[in-house]
Amino acid sequence: MKTPRHVRLLFTLLPLSLAAAQAQKTTLVVSGFGIAQDKIEKNIAKPFEAVCGCNVVFEVGNNADRLAKLTARKANPNVDVVLLADYFAKQASNQGLFEKLDTAQLSNYGKLYDFARDPLKDGTAVAFTVYSVSIVYRTDKITKPITSWKDLWRPELAGKVALPNITTTQGPPTVWLVNRAYGGKDSDASAAFGQLGKLKVLTYYNQSSQVTSLFAQDEIWAAPVGRFAWGGLLNTKKPLAWARLSDGQAGLVNVASVVKGSKNVALAHKFIDFMLSTPVQTAQALDLVDSPVNKQVKLPAAVANQLTVGVSQVAGLRFMDTSYVLTNRDNWIQRWNREVVK
Amino acid sequence: MPGRTVTPWLLVTPALLFLTLVFLYPVVKLLLNSFSVGDTFGLGNYTSFFGDRFNLEVLWRTLRVALVVTLVSAVVCYPAAYGIQSVPPRYRGLVTALIIVPLMTSPVARTYAWLVLLGQTGIVNTALLRSGLVQEPVRILYTEWAVYIGMAQLFIPLMLLTLISAMENLPRDVVPAARSLGATSLQSFTRVILPLTREGLVVGGTLVFTGCITAYVTPALLGGARVQLLATLLYQKAGVTVDYAAASVISVVMLALTLTVAGVLRGRGGRT
Amino acid sequence: MNSSRVPIIILYLTLVFLVGPFLVVFIAAFGGEPTLKFPPTSFSTQWFTKVFEVESFRSSFLTSLGLGLMSTSLALALGIPVAYALSRFRLPGAVVIQTVLTSPALVPGLVVGLALLQYFINLGGSVYPSLLAAHTALLLPYVVRVVSTSLINLKPDIEEAAISLGASRLTAFRLVVLPNIRGGVAAAAVLAFITSFDQVAVSLFLTGPGVSTLPISMLTFMEYNYDPTIAALSTLLIIFSIGLVLVFERVLGLSRYV
Repeated sequence: MKTPRHVRLLFTLLPLSLAAAQAQKTTLVVSGFGIAQDKIEKNIAKPFEAVCGCNVVFEVGNNADRLAKLTARKANPNVDVVLLADYFAKQASNQGLFEKLDTAQLSNYGKLYDFARDPLKDGTAVAFTVYSVSIVYRTDKITKPITSWKDLWRPELAGKVALPNITTTQGPPTVWLVNRAYGGKDSDASAAFGQLGKLKVLTYYNQSSQVTSLFAQDEIWAAPVGRFAWGGLLNTKKPLAWARLSDGQAGLVNVASVVKGSKNVALAHKFIDFMLSTPVQTAQALDLVDSPVNKQVKLPAAVANQLTVGVSQVAGLRFMDTSYVLTNRDNWIQRWNREVVK
Repeated sequence: MPGRTVTPWLLVTPALLFLTLVFLYPVVKLLLNSFSVGDTFGLGNYTSFFGDRFNLEVLWRTLRVALVVTLVSAVVCYPAAYGIQSVPPRYRGLVTALIIVPLMTSPVARTYAWLVLLGQTGIVNTALLRSGLVQEPVRILYTEWAVYIGMAQLFIPLMLLTLISAMENLPRDVVPAARSLGATSLQSFTRVILPLTREGLVVGGTLVFTGCITAYVTPALLGGARVQLLATLLYQKAGVTVDYAAASVISVVMLALTLTVAGVLRGRGGRT
Repeated sequence: MNSSRVPIIILYLTLVFLVGPFLVVFIAAFGGEPTLKFPPTSFSTQWFTKVFEVESFRSSFLTSLGLGLMSTSLALALGIPVAYALSRFRLPGAVVIQTVLTSPALVPGLVVGLALLQYFINLGGSVYPSLLAAHTALLLPYVVRVVSTSLINLKPDIEEAAISLGASRLTAFRLVVLPNIRGGVAAAAVLAFITSFDQVAVSLFLTGPGVSTLPISMLTFMEYNYDPTIAALSTLLIIFSIGLVLVFERVLGLSRYV
């Protein structure tokens, strides 16, 4: 019989790829951020695999995507450990998606700063990194340093500002601090929305790569940015500065939790403990991926300057209560679409 | 011969069964979800979706983008498809290959190119500035213009290929004949070419129009947060805010649009 | 300017619009700067090395490749019999069958992805089978259409002759029909594979832990990185599709099937 060779090839490959797809070992599935994947592979995944004798598989993506998938798969979870920004994690925790953490299984728990020990205030998560949200600006275009959230409204910045979209992690803290800067009460964000509606914004970014590209292509001179994007921004070789704001930088933590229904709860704790250990926290900091939350991490000054490190720096940050964000988020998204983006 | 009656059913059943189980049933279920409010049947999801001006703007923008891109590609592709007759025969294969290559290339890669080109310091702006056409760099990226450009590049090959094959069926001397009888080029187009290639135009138009309505990567990467289309809104509702009611309404709207257009095509006696 | 030159000039300009951006990606991929820049001011091949170093690209490439091959094989296995039945038999309700079979091409990919996400979760299914099912459904209309075209062009006389000489229909199909529609089947396979390999919308909701396709990994990578790695990867993908088109245009005349 003369079966076409292509067809024959396809059918030979079929069982092969089936077999490959089904090959399974003890596997710990971690849902994490897509940033610096190569460093995370090097600093966390590979060393942990060597210790635990298991496979570590990463699902990567932004907070919203992964939370949505976690919610959708609630009845049949296929993730063991999930890493999320604090208020996304709080949302998941409220939906009962997390196990309670057993801190006795975390040998490095005692080394953590206080703010990292129970960031969701319900015992379901520990923080593994902290970062600030402030305004990044071009020092060559803006000669008078930016020192307040209100400076975004300076006339010379008209049309040269990008804002984080409300659905990003940096969106709500920006609304919150702008609201405070303009004298608004936390219970009512009208001051912020009134002002943001008047701001001459070039565009709203969804992703940290977008804000990098906007700076790289000279499209914007200033934008509120999360510290984790700072390394990428420096790569643009543009003269950029990180504003020290008198009315406050926002502080956010990324947290690690064990997914409810995980079949590897003990291993998941082990992984989280590993992430908090001094060597891993140091390695992540030296690669400028994550600022440490472990008090014993010692860093050279040059590295520490690029990160959010130490009690003194963290003390200056304003942490938003995660429940506060969640109560207001839907309303803020609606108001944002109607009053700001338009 | 008894095989006559059984064999064909044996042949089509696996595929039909497969599609019914893993495709039709889930899709229909999703669509029906849009009509349930709590546990009862109702149009509540629709009234709240269409009651929001933001959503209506997105719907209108999606239609506008699809219409403009379809019209522009028709206007560009008619002369371009006609022009292939003047290409020396031995280069025609190359020209066809150049039209097909983009079709076969990952839409992510194709859209990515425009990110490089359309920025404030991208070459489009550099060229515009040098030519003196503009004094200030123009904003293109993250505006509706970027979406038009990206979509046009994505879908022009479909229109071009259908029109080229439609024109191959044109008798070779019909245009010169019309011209020699005194027809202007416009007349020979509207009276001769257009009626004879109408079917190709309808097929190409449908492909481009439905493509624009369903494309996700281009508006997501080139339009940014400000230029939402139905596809990106659907993704936001389902993937970001986990609002499945709204997501199912958008699904119904998108499907209704593509089916309407496909129905028009079938009504015109085209082929699918 | 001679007005009869206008159409061909428009054709060439259109080709520049279609293919020109690829050249830009090629050039940007060799830039030495750590952020994407065009034109680049220095030369480097480091981004091509980086493409192969990024773990998510390696694993998702293999996933995409396997998924493409599997869904293509399944779509061929399900689709060729249908194409044969529709072109050789008078089936009552053929219109309905045809409508069902073309439906995956009419439903927007995102809708398919979302529907299958909800469906497979309720079934407790894992990531890979739902991706495979979605891709196979998506490819079926292409396979049926392309193979049907070849079958219609093949006159039934020869196989009827074989059958009247005592061959079973299956034998006639294997010995007479299949060799004659080889080109169509191969073209269907290539189109189906490419459609699966490049698919974004359907996969967007369906990828999960450890199972991501290459286009989705590219989108995720682009979310956080603004360096020329994606330009380098795009360059490789473009070269891949050029190669594919050239080979098949030469061997099969792919343009007849698109």
